[in-house]
Amino acid sequence: MTRERGDILKDLMDGVFLMNEELVIKAANEIVAAGYDAYDAINNGLIAGMNQAGVLFDKEEYFVPELLICSDAMYAGIEILRPHLKVGDARVKHKVVIGVVEGDTHDIGKNLVKIMMDAAGFEVHDLGRNVPLASFVEKAKEVGAELICLSTLMTTTMDGMATVIEMLKEEGIRDAHKVIIGGGPISQAFANKIGADGYADNAAGAIRVANSLLAKVAA
Amino acid sequence: MKTNVAIPADTQTSLERVMSYLKGEKPQRVACFPLILNHAARVLGVPVGKYNRDGKAMGNSHVAAWKRYGHDLVLIFSTTSTLAEAMGTKMKFFDEDAPQIDVPFLKQHSDISKLKVPDFSKDGRLPVYMEATEICVKEIGSQVVVSTVFGGPFTTAAALYPVELLTRDLIKNPKWVHELLEICTQAGIKFIDEILKRGALPVIVEPIGSGSLVSPRHFHEFVAPYLKRLADHVHKNGGGFPAALHICGKTKSNWMAMLEADFDIWSLDDVDLGEAKKAVGHRVVLIGNVVPANLLKNTAEEIDEEARIICEKMGDKTGFILGSGCEVPINTPPENIDALINAARKYARFDQ
Repeated sequence: MTRERGDILKDLMDGVFLMNEELVIKAANEIVAAGYDAYDAINNGLIAGMNQAGVLFDKEEYFVPELLICSDAMYAGIEILRPHLKVGDARVKHKVVIGVVEGDTHDIGKNLVKIMMDAAGFEVHDLGRNVPLASFVEKAKEVGAELICLSTLMTTTMDGMATVIEMLKEEGIRDAHKVIIGGGPISQAFANKIGADGYADNAAGAIRVANSLLAKVAA
Repeated sequence: MKTNVAIPADTQTSLERVMSYLKGEKPQRVACFPLILNHAARVLGVPVGKYNRDGKAMGNSHVAAWKRYGHDLVLIFSTTSTLAEAMGTKMKFFDEDAPQIDVPFLKQHSDISKLKVPDFSKDGRLPVYMEATEICVKEIGSQVVVSTVFGGPFTTAAALYPVELLTRDLIKNPKWVHELLEICTQAGIKFIDEILKRGALPVIVEPIGSGSLVSPRHFHEFVAPYLKRLADHVHKNGGGFPAALHICGKTKSNWMAMLEADFDIWSLDDVDLGEAKKAVGHRVVLIGNVVPANLLKNTAEEIDEEARIICEKMGDKTGFILGSGCEVPINTPPENIDALINAARKYARFDQ
């Protein structure tokens, strides 16, 4: 028997939120078999579940392990549903280029921000870690990213963030891209000093900062 | 700003000052432990890449740094992954930065069967650490406590197996994680023995146990019990040395779980140290916590003021050592380190 759409959506959401990847896979396959809308299932099931996990992360009830396993479940569901998206489902998304600056290979913080940005509906272009500074500018131009997110854990590499901002100025495109920075040694004071548009202390904060910067652009 | 306050001269040596803490007496002034690690290479004028791979360069750098700054604890260190490196993890080296993890040794769970406690006479860069320790103890050990720093079991595990997979396994494969932590603990105990044998103080760093990565529940299950075995080993074999622990980043959420590990000294980073003193000051001596990036970026006057505020927060200043929250950045201007140490001389005295 085919179950109600709402029941399956609840399984997708709970499966992500409660770290039950098997439940997500089963429910995603059920959506496909029943011919329910895949876009709806991703947004109102998987992503809704991930956002619930994000709320708990923000409240320090979930931590990194829980958030990563929730995201594994979310991505497993998306893999199954993506081939069933309809052409008209492609909404215009805000584009983000993200990476860890050159000289630094610590990327767990950046990866958490990427997961939360995926869940928040951004189109995320992840350049990875130890990224040459010019690559941030090139990629942002290429995809037309509204946001550039720079991360580092180290004091030896934090000045690279200022260099990226200088590069944007030199190319005369500073106003076209908002720059958000974060990581262990980074502070609001440092963001102000180098002229970054935003600073976030953690992954949930990065989403809030991104949304508020984009709201300012729209206003 | 009290920058113009006269700087009283020390009449105790670093060693006497630190011994006062151990004897439960008040020192002339609060001790100061700026965590001078890779920055020591700058003082001797050798590339950081050479410091990291040459025991003589590492040892001589710390001797030179201590002679330059007169800080109260010498810390032999290059990265938190040194034990894991000696157990098979490949590092990426830089000319002017500390090494970083390149390829973790464990690719899959079954690789754990290949994992062994390292041989300190030949594996990885352990001989570099040992030689550096010997040089410092011989050259300056009569005037200052020399310590050697290594990653705790959880941090070593996260350098042997990718941290993002390890954190998932806390929930998905806890039994395997415990097996891995057991081997890392045995390696840590061996490290303690090798350091004590050389007359130095073993210091344990467990940054992967930071509250940013691990919940109090997981700290209690996966971090504290193994750290406690290291602390117990120091207490039993250390000839009066205290058990010292450093955890970077945010730790407040894990303080209660950290107490279970039974360390005597905590070096803390991104916390309110005054709040820490109220919460755990009856159990541990606290080291901290001028912001490392500020040491790199701010002026000496700003460091003086930041350190003064920390001293003020520490009330009666007992059970307190002024320091940096985490590693003193490699390119920190020397006058900022002087400002930090002078702040202990100016704002944290017991003889007035």
